Amino acid sequence: MSNLELPLVFFTVLSQTAIGLVIISTLRQWAVDGPTGNIRGEWVTASGLIIAGMVASFFHLGHPLEGYTALKHLDKAWLSREVLGVSIFLGLTVLGMFMARDKISGPVAFGAAIVGLATILFMGMTYSPPSYPAINNVLPLVFFLMTALLLGTSFGSWFASPEKRIWLTRVLAVTLIVGLVVYLIVPCVWLSGGTVMAQTGWAWIGSPLYWARIIIGLVLPLAAVWMTRDVPAWLPTIILIGEIMGRMVFFKDTLHAAGNLGGLY
Amino acid sequence: MKKQYAFYIDAERCIGCFTCAMACKNQYHQPETVIWRQVYPIKAEIYPHRERAFYSLACNHCENPTCLNVCPVVAYSKREADGIVIHDQEKCIGCGNCIRSCPYGVPRYNPVLKKAEKCSFCWQRIDAGLKPQCVQSCPVEALQIVDLATFDKPDAVQYPPGFPKYPKLNPSVRFLVPRLPKIIGREDI
Repeated sequence: MSNLELPLVFFTVLSQTAIGLVIISTLRQWAVDGPTGNIRGEWVTASGLIIAGMVASFFHLGHPLEGYTALKHLDKAWLSREVLGVSIFLGLTVLGMFMARDKISGPVAFGAAIVGLATILFMGMTYSPPSYPAINNVLPLVFFLMTALLLGTSFGSWFASPEKRIWLTRVLAVTLIVGLVVYLIVPCVWLSGGTVMAQTGWAWIGSPLYWARIIIGLVLPLAAVWMTRDVPAWLPTIILIGEIMGRMVFFKDTLHAAGNLGGLY
Repeated sequence: MKKQYAFYIDAERCIGCFTCAMACKNQYHQPETVIWRQVYPIKAEIYPHRERAFYSLACNHCENPTCLNVCPVVAYSKREADGIVIHDQEKCIGCGNCIRSCPYGVPRYNPVLKKAEKCSFCWQRIDAGLKPQCVQSCPVEALQIVDLATFDKPDAVQYPPGFPKYPKLNPSVRFLVPRLPKIIGREDI
């Protein structure tokens, strides 16, 4: 979005990591047989991440102390809905954290997962305004879902029992392959769009950060998962770095329609 | 149709003197990086002549404004009486969502106030029966205000080349596209 917007980079990546952790934790608990693992530790981490993300988001406000007023426009503004979604998700995650023993109660876990998914939808709508032709579509939602899945599964491996790591490894491998395909194809598709969309495609392809993101955040983790048939302990940190770089590209190299005023669109 | 004020930009007349932009600055004294009205040269791919042509652009006071729709604190409002879109700085928290979302790049970030701001159509002057400062100052009368409810100029267009098309927003602006001067070469004689 032509501006690095670091607070938003950290807010979106950290909150999507927390949502991914909660979704994967919930699915793992009920959809896969075997011991649950360190569920409490997982939900403590998710709570910490969402709090860190919310703190980061305040740094992009001119007047952070008035940030609570962002809930005023729920009937129209996706940003208001996003703030509400993140707040409810935080509440449910903290509640789950305190209730967690060997398991988390179904209503709280599924409630947090569903609210988390809705929040990612709200985020996808917030960051797909008409001013950015390349992402004025479903792509931000796809990118954000991918971040949640990649980081949710990889960080989830820290807390999963060995029996459930096999399932996590499979989900992570598939998400990495899908992510690689999406991130390589999307800028190429943009090249055949209108002026600003094509400029965005070239900006992404010409960005060293984009290629670093592809290699560090997707290719390297995929190779590691392929060779070890597991999720090594260091891998989530590498994927997190890759996602942060990818989000920086998203904010910095996606071009605004107004940048071409006076030229052909 | 209800009354809807709009800027009418006669690019045939505009000489790119920037007086409109300077008049706006003189009226509101925005910080250096904050521009409410800007004069954009039309690129040679659209207007291939050594004499340049220009669009003087500010807020389009859209029928369905993105800034108003995305603002989480309801800092924007659209006046019923004349369709002018107003930004209330008292409510703004400087989240920048309007700046990111307006496809015409209208709202700007004021680094001093740490809030967004944009062209107000000089609504205080309008209410006092005066023209907006930019319109008032234009030496060639290339910038005018019109009421779209009664505006009926057949050669005016809403989306000329060089101005992005967003029908959902329905920007309240009309243009007279500049014509290329007739060049007479030896072969024409």
